[in-house]
Amino acid sequence: MDANRPDSDAARAKAHTRFWRLWFAPIAAVGALATLAVGAFRVRPTPRSTPSQPVVQPPVAPTSTSPAGSGRILTMAEAQTAMPARRLPRQYVQTAQLGGVSSPDKFLKDLSGIAAGADDHVYAIGDGEVRVFDAALVRLRSWRAPEGAACLAVGPDGRVYVGSSGRVDVFDPAGVHVQTLTVGEKDKPAAVTAIKVFRGELLVADANVRLIRRLGADGAARGMVGHLGKTGRFMLPNGSLDLAIDAGGLVYATDTGRHQVTTWTLDGAPIGKFGKFGMRNPEDFVGCCNPVNLALTPDGKVVTGEKMVARVKVFEPDGTLLAVIGPEHFDPACVHIHLDVDSHGRILAADPVRRVVTVFSLAPSRPPGEPA
Amino acid sequence: MIEKSTRRRFIEGSCRILGLVTLGSTAGLLTQRASAGAVYQVDPNKCKTCDLCRTACVLSLSAVKAVNDFERCGYCMLCPAYMDVNSTPDEKGIPTGKVCPQDALKRRVVGRVDADDPNNNYYEYVVDEARCDGCGKCVKACLPPAGNGSLRLEIRYSRCVECNECAIQIACPDSAIARVSVPGLAPVATHTP
Repeated sequence: MDANRPDSDAARAKAHTRFWRLWFAPIAAVGALATLAVGAFRVRPTPRSTPSQPVVQPPVAPTSTSPAGSGRILTMAEAQTAMPARRLPRQYVQTAQLGGVSSPDKFLKDLSGIAAGADDHVYAIGDGEVRVFDAALVRLRSWRAPEGAACLAVGPDGRVYVGSSGRVDVFDPAGVHVQTLTVGEKDKPAAVTAIKVFRGELLVADANVRLIRRLGADGAARGMVGHLGKTGRFMLPNGSLDLAIDAGGLVYATDTGRHQVTTWTLDGAPIGKFGKFGMRNPEDFVGCCNPVNLALTPDGKVVTGEKMVARVKVFEPDGTLLAVIGPEHFDPACVHIHLDVDSHGRILAADPVRRVVTVFSLAPSRPPGEPA
Repeated sequence: MIEKSTRRRFIEGSCRILGLVTLGSTAGLLTQRASAGAVYQVDPNKCKTCDLCRTACVLSLSAVKAVNDFERCGYCMLCPAYMDVNSTPDEKGIPTGKVCPQDALKRRVVGRVDADDPNNNYYEYVVDEARCDGCGKCVKACLPPAGNGSLRLEIRYSRCVECNECAIQIACPDSAIARVSVPGLAPVATHTP
């Protein structure tokens, strides 16, 4: 046994050395690598439990609490469904609808404009087409619309004017392309957001220059409508300008940033205005920029479309509120309700979110004293 | 004989260790550099402005800030992100309350100024990042259809401490915090009025 002891010691030493050689170096390397990796990714402590740095609290105005029309300021949810507390002179009811899931003429992708033409035909732009419907909303014909078509108008002769960036395309009543009018300057094409036809002239709303351009039938410039005030032009934070024109040539235009409907002569002289910002009274216009859309009834009433609280209102030309078509008819996300009115006073309201055109007709008036 | 051999082998082993440490250090440094090119950022299309950016960040004042996209901003006089449109109006009918609890959204008139009628002016809105705590109230108020949606929340790289696991990312119920690879990350240009 003793004779074997040195050998045994040598064997133990050899095994010891082998262990160090085989295992120490890899273990140390892994340890170093892990340490460095931890150092490379700085691990932070758990979320703070202390409050943030000193907070400046501005004075917050108290919110009053009385109902709509009597001083109460509405919450946003209430405003969405707010209806005037008092009975308004006119009531509108939904009488027809175009589009929608079950309709054979549904708009699948978009709906960007609506117009009423002769014989109360309804013209709509959607899914890259101009579609024509009769008064009963039966489809008559359709044709391909220009790329990026944003609005349309129908002349008394049945010609259809389709507006898109920097141009107005003219189609004959059958949908044959007649001509293209260039609108705006070469380096600043017009943002055409509305068109109206009046005695052979075109009135084109240009949201780029924030003015209404008067054009001849050949596209020649005949003037501008819309200079106003010290800072001039329409205020359009939402980049949309709409207009309407009555039988006498009085131009109505939205001034969304000022929350007004303004009136002008064809020569560009300001005539009047109505409207103001407000969240509590239904005749006021809510949000940053309203009314967004505009139309006129055959009897000269002003129809406005609003966003934020998506609703349609009807006013006397002096701003007296006549009717409210409530937000239950429109998608809350609407930033436009495209409007027009046919010869029978039916309001055509196109909701581009739901891609539906809803027709509203004046409800028969009730005898005095009868409850609503 | 055995001792000599052990020493030599020990030296050999030490050399191996040194080599491996050098290799590990290099790998660690490379990993660190690689991770510096990726940042946490808010996906505005997923963000629901739930207020967790304000409370979940490990910093005392969150690294998430509201940012105004001036290309999209309408420069409104009645900015729904600046004014609480439901607050009591003053004698001119303009709301008196503000949306931001920190008063971090500042505005100034730009362009031609009409001192008599504020409705004739355009206003530029700038976020004071020293005050903004990333609560997102202004962002929510600016969303369409009320506004143009020009405000959004962003993680400011100058403040973000690049946690191993972003506490906001863990807390976000909408998975709106994404790890974005940004090779050669440059400082973000900030708008100064």
